[in-house]
Amino acid sequence: MDWGQYILIGFVFACLFFLGAALALHWAHRHGQLTNLEKGAQSIFDEDEPMGEITDAFPRKRRKKKN
Amino acid sequence: MSSNPSLLQSLSPTGDADISLKARLGEVDASMRKPAMLFLVSAVFWLLLGTVFALVAAIKATNPDFLGGTEWLTFGRVRSAHLNAMIFGWGNNVIFAVAPWIMGRLSRARIRHTSILLIAGIFWNIAVTVGIFGILRGDMIGVEWLEMPSYAAPLIIITYALVGVWVIIAFRWRQTDHVYVSQWYLLAAFFWLPWLYTVAQIMLIFEPATGVVQSLTNWWFAHNVLGLWLTPIALGVAYYLIPKVLGRPIHSYYLSVVGFWALALFYNWAGVHHLIGGPVPAWVISAGTVASVMMVIPVLVVGINHHLTVVGLHKEGWASPTIRFVMFGAINYTFVSLTGSLMALRHVNEVTHFTHFTVGHAHHGVYAFFTMIMFGAVYYMMPRLLLREWPNAFLIKVHWWMAGMGILLMVVALQVGGWIQGLQMNALNEDGTPVYSSFIQIVENTRPWLWLRSLSGLMILIGHLAFGVNVFWMIFSRRRAGEQTAPTLLSPTTEQA
Repeated sequence: MDWGQYILIGFVFACLFFLGAALALHWAHRHGQLTNLEKGAQSIFDEDEPMGEITDAFPRKRRKKKN
Repeated sequence: MSSNPSLLQSLSPTGDADISLKARLGEVDASMRKPAMLFLVSAVFWLLLGTVFALVAAIKATNPDFLGGTEWLTFGRVRSAHLNAMIFGWGNNVIFAVAPWIMGRLSRARIRHTSILLIAGIFWNIAVTVGIFGILRGDMIGVEWLEMPSYAAPLIIITYALVGVWVIIAFRWRQTDHVYVSQWYLLAAFFWLPWLYTVAQIMLIFEPATGVVQSLTNWWFAHNVLGLWLTPIALGVAYYLIPKVLGRPIHSYYLSVVGFWALALFYNWAGVHHLIGGPVPAWVISAGTVASVMMVIPVLVVGINHHLTVVGLHKEGWASPTIRFVMFGAINYTFVSLTGSLMALRHVNEVTHFTHFTVGHAHHGVYAFFTMIMFGAVYYMMPRLLLREWPNAFLIKVHWWMAGMGILLMVVALQVGGWIQGLQMNALNEDGTPVYSSFIQIVENTRPWLWLRSLSGLMILIGHLAFGVNVFWMIFSRRRAGEQTAPTLLSPTTEQA
């Protein structure tokens, strides 16, 4: 293959890449993923692993409640 | 949809998530138990084998005759076997264990049809075994980070596709509204790697480019495996585990999202800085240099965010094996990335290029950053998968100290020694003649630094042995009566005690 064909392959993949990124960003905006971000930060906590609870320690060491 | 969806239902692009399928964390953990353990046990095996390869290669750097009588164990083959055992054997196996598990937890979705993941795990390890056997046998391909012979590639691609699709399915059937920043990182990584691998396979293996294009493609691929595969995975894991373990939300979630998109925009361009000084169009190098310096933005964002999340909880963090490893990795992400940005500057690169400095930088990134974070993830994940505690705290401490101090010694030795090596290679007398007229003299001068590297490798091997013993001890030990079976807090809390 010559330079032109390599550039063509690269260009097609680059377009797909940027199209994918643009679609992801558009989807995130439409579905409200980019609003109220600070609330989103708490989404990893729940009743099993609540906020304020240390969930890992060396074995046979007691865990403490933290605020 | 029924509670046990068929394979076709899971793969369907249409259909709504059923809220009744929302899983508790313990259920997600249970669903991932078998495939994750297969990948983890395989990862530990490759980690130990890769470390032995590394030590042999390191000793050969100072004692070239060591095991020099066997062609299977010559430096070129052992060094490449080490690299591939670590990247494909350890790195990808541990990613395949941790990434679907975190994706499932964040999506509150059980991992479906895990028998396919089990098959993928078996195929993946067959592919890595065949690939490394091929490298040692002499079938290696002379392309950095793609050394495995081409007959191993189809299995690699098929297996990767199986695992990648399963991560995406877990996300597709998520039972949560918000997409957490770790999910962005993991999803992006699982889309980016096939893109990188496909382009590299086409342009380097099936229809090989020649000359400058080959070098450009090679370094675009090799650098982006670190930047668009290992880095987003490790950052996604860190963004999940640091707040999760400490029970405190990430300091600035806004900054974490900015950091993700900045990484997506800038990192892809940075790899060509490996070709500074080569016969490459100047604008390509300049673009790579600018992108490398722009990477300072996401790096500082991540560094500030992680640091401020931990502030005030250092004691609790030190008491957690997970946080010890993850924070070590996170801090080193900042340092290795800033070093990388500096190395992309032409005047700095003139000194560091073709020296041990670059080798130190690669280990700094892949080990001190990525691997240490993945160790932290394993320390958090295994008790939840197996519902039992780690059997021995001392072995965890040995692991952390030996791995941590070992890699720091290696990075310092290789980068100080490499910098001196670069200065000596560039040193000129007033009349323009080289100060060191004999190249072998400069090579001899690196010996003390290379001995230090071997010593650091020995320390890391001790750490890995402690880790391996603890992992297998845990797998084969019995859960003690009275321990909780909830997904967390296996030992009693203060209140319960």
